[in-house]
Order: sequence, then structure tokens, then C-alpha cells
Amino acid sequence: MSPTEPWRIGTLFSTSGVTSIIEKSQLNGALLAIDEINKAGGVMGRPIEPISYNPGSLVPRYGELAEKLIVEDKVNVIFGCYMSSTRKEVLPVVERRNALFFYPTLYEGFEYSPNVIYGGATPNQNSVPLAKYLMEAYGKRIFFVGSDYIYPHESNRVMRNVLRQGGGEVVGEEYFSLRCSKPGFKDVVDQILREKPDAIFSTIVGQGCINFYKAYYEAGGRGVECPIASLTTNEGEIAEIGVEASVGHITAAPYFRSIDTPANHRFLAGYAAKFGTTRDVTSGCEAAYSQVHMFADALAETEDMDTDALREALLGRTFNAPQGQIKIDADNNHTYLQSLIAKVNEAGEFIVEHKVRRAIKPDPYLVFPEINDWSFRTQKVLSS
Amino acid sequence: MSFFDQNLRNLNVMIFHPRDKTADELLQQINRIGCSFETMWPIPDTLPQNADFIFVDMIDNSAAKLKSLLHKADGTGPAVIAIIGYENPSVLDGIFEIGAHAVLAKPLRATGVMSSMLMARRFWGEQNRFNQELGKLKLRLENLQNVNDAKFILMRHHGINDKEAYAIIRKQAMSKRVSTVEIAQAIINADGILNNFGAVKPTE
Repeated sequence: MSPTEPWRIGTLFSTSGVTSIIEKSQLNGALLAIDEINKAGGVMGRPIEPISYNPGSLVPRYGELAEKLIVEDKVNVIFGCYMSSTRKEVLPVVERRNALFFYPTLYEGFEYSPNVIYGGATPNQNSVPLAKYLMEAYGKRIFFVGSDYIYPHESNRVMRNVLRQGGGEVVGEEYFSLRCSKPGFKDVVDQILREKPDAIFSTIVGQGCINFYKAYYEAGGRGVECPIASLTTNEGEIAEIGVEASVGHITAAPYFRSIDTPANHRFLAGYAAKFGTTRDVTSGCEAAYSQVHMFADALAETEDMDTDALREALLGRTFNAPQGQIKIDADNNHTYLQSLIAKVNEAGEFIVEHKVRRAIKPDPYLVFPEINDWSFRTQKVLSS
Repeated sequence: MSFFDQNLRNLNVMIFHPRDKTADELLQQINRIGCSFETMWPIPDTLPQNADFIFVDMIDNSAAKLKSLLHKADGTGPAVIAIIGYENPSVLDGIFEIGAHAVLAKPLRATGVMSSMLMARRFWGEQNRFNQELGKLKLRLENLQNVNDAKFILMRHHGINDKEAYAIIRKQAMSKRVSTVEIAQAIINADGILNNFGAVKPTE
């Protein structure tokens, strides 16, 4: 291999289709990190070169393209995927071919593969703090809405358990297709307005999420009175939903654009310089960005793309991410993450209201989260 | 889902397996699932107390030893998951011989460990429940037989019908505050004694 030949990696983020808003932002996060690394001289003087395929939000395409990246493009490090169903397509491919797969997205847990590095939150890192916060700040009657696939069902199971422990009540539970249109949400919005819950817990993702928030607003639902709380709605979706319909709604995530850390300012400045705007910077984008950097740090250590060597170098590695310090848990390949709860203000920006004191250890196999576990306690964040 | 009603994390796992790569994979996954665990190799002579699950490496000639180890005299024992390297008939025979509740094949992957634990625990629970039910049913059948025998004795002695005989037993049970089964047993015993008494009556 010549001294300037690039390190080639693959990305599998959809730039078209139902989940393209969020996946584009994840792709951008990865590309920004690659840019930064290459501008600083690459790894051992060799640049990182991404091969990016667009699966078009079609579930089987993710598996096919992962195979193509590994077999035809001879790549053994891949970043990608948003929905769990797409990760499940890639998983057998990377395991069979012993590739390393970085998954920068929150998901429902109950998985471990030695070939995957999980960069997003598991339910213990975001659901529990969110449930506590909702019950304390708004009340105990919660309405569930979700997209009809694995993550919302599992996420709601966890949420229901946590709510019950705190004396809360699930007053309704409805699921919708990923492409559900605004009129498609009319019935459930009417039901919510009749039922008058204290808050709505939404796990609707993709285009459906935007349609749901808009339908709720147009029917008279207001975030300041009865907020939609979510784990997945972030800056990208809010930008599409519009400020008016977004005000007062709540999201729990490890990262928000408005965080005031030097690493975040650097990250946002770089993003704005490369893409012209920070409008679509999200927690998924930040996770992809951090994962690429951690990969490059590991590569600088191993000086080799060997999967096993890279994995060894990655487990236990820390990184000063825009959200704060994160660490890959050597026990389970998931990541210690911050847990923040933010509300959309009048300017359409997420403002962090509560946060847990320190990064939460990922616990992907937690069946019954304990609502009173000290590690989930949040503290109020004073606006600066 | 009913399995999740019990907290998986309160269960103790015991692993009879040499400390090799398979054992490492298994231990790490059990650690992720969150159970407490312990390894032992070679297979010990007595079963450690409080083991809810046993994972056991199926090697040649271990089946007989395991069988006596895993099944206590009172019929209770832990849920057993066999780890197999071969699928040949003698290994498969071994699985059945030790009464395994689930099987994991080598090379062992993290995925599947939790399912096998749930399957094993479920079969184990069902088996225990069936055994208990079976015991109860056997007892009830015996009792029913005794009450019937007692009724026949009364019918024979007093020339009464089935309903009247049962009414007598029931009345006796209520006045003495014992079960009909106990009264029935008393009648059977008394009848036996009286009959024998007649048989061995000394000749005058």
C-alpha cells in the first residue's frame, strides 16, 4: 500500500425516502469528521475516503449495499443506519464477513454483536429520565403514539414500565405507518384532545413525525399546555415542522445543538462552514461525527484496518464529543452518553431544561428500569 | 412476556465449561444480560446451592455424571442448557439423558443466549408445574377412590343407597370437623379391623 493511499470506509445513510431527513444529517456528521481528520493530515498521513451509498430508505437495500461495500469495494468499516429494521439487515452481513459497523442511532436495546459499535442511546439512557421529568413537570396521564415498527413498540414497553412504577397511567396507545399523512392523524389527534392527557409520548419517526406535530397544532393542540415528548424528534424535524407548531414540545437526547461546550462550538462552526447552515444538526449527526473521530483515533493506534485490532482499540476509548465526554463501554460495545431533556423555545431552538449529572452507562439488556435509580436523577439547568 | 414478570437479573447462573473462548463469549453475554454467574470446571461432585440455571459443556461420557448431579431426589433442580460442539446421535442422546431444557451450539454467539435462557426457564417452570399438578391429581384420585370404598362399605352394612352413604360420611366429617377423606379412611380402617376380627375370632 502506498503511503498516500486513502483509508477507505463505507457509509449507508439514505438521502432519499422516509427517513432521509435524519439520515442526511448523520451522513453530514460523518463527512464533517472525515474532513476534519483529512485537513489535519489524515491518519498516518493518509486521508480517509468515504464510499457513500444511498439505500433510499428501503430496508432490504441496506443489507445488499453492505454486502457490496465489503465484497466489491473491499471496505471493512461501515457507518450507517437509522431504523432498527435496517440495522438488522446489515448485522448478518458484517458478522459473516467480520466487518466493523458503526451505528450512530438510538435504538431499543437487547442486542450485542462484536461487529457493531453502538453510538446512540439505549432506553435506560433516555426513556427513564424523560418519564421522570414528564411526571414531575406535567402529570401522570400519558398518551402513547408511535410508528408501527420495532423501536416504538419496545420503547413504549419500557416507558409503560417506568410510568407504572411512578404511579403514572397510559391513557391511550396508537401506532401508524411510517408514511402516515396529516389527515391520517386526524382521529388520534381528536382522541387526544378529548382525552386531555398531561403529555403525549411520541415515537413517530420520519415524515410521519412532521405530519403528526402539524396535525396536532392545526387541531388546536399546544406544546405549552400538553407537550409531545419524544426521543427521536430533533432539530431536523423541528425545522420541517416549523417554529409555531413546535413550541413547548420536549425531547430527551444525548445532544442538542444549543449545548454550550467548546467542542460543540467547534463542531457547529465546522458544520456551518461545510454545509452552509446548522439547521439540520441533530443528536444522530453528532453521534456519527463522534463515531468517525473515535474510529480515526483507534486507527491511529492500530495503524491497520484489521477488524479485530480496531475493535480492541475502540473498546473503552473516550472522546471529547460536542455533548461532553463519551466512552465506548468495553462490556457491551455501546456508549456512555449524556442525558438531556430539552424544550423547544419561541425561536424554534431546543433549550436544555434538565440533565443527568454524568454520562449514563449503557445497559442494553435492562428489562425493568428502576425509576428511582440514582444514576437517572436529573437536575435543573439554569439558563445562562 | 410472562417470563419477564420475574426479574431475570435476580437469577444465578452456573457454568460448567473450561475457560476457553466459548466460555468467554458466554460469560460476557450473561454479564450483559445482568445475571450473577460463576464458572466451574471440571464438573463438580455436588451441585452448588442457589443455582437457577446451569450451562453445561456436553463432552464425552459426562452425561451419566450430569444426570445424577442435576436431578435431585425430590425432582427439583435448576434449568439446564446444554452447550454442544457436535450434533451427532450420541451427543444428542446425552442432551435427552440429562434432561436439558435448551441447547446452544458452538461456535457460540451472543445472540441466542437470552432466548435459550428464557426457553429453558419456561420449560423448566412448566415441567415443575406439571409435576406438581400430577402429584395433586394422583392424590385426589386416591382420595376419591377411598370415599367410594367407604360408601360401598356403608351401603353394604346398612342397606342404604349411594346418596345416603355419602350423606353419612359428610355429616360425620362436619360434626368432627375433619375432611370427608379422613372419615372415609376411618371407615375403611374400621371395616378392615372388624372383618379381620371376625376372621381370627377364636373358636369357643
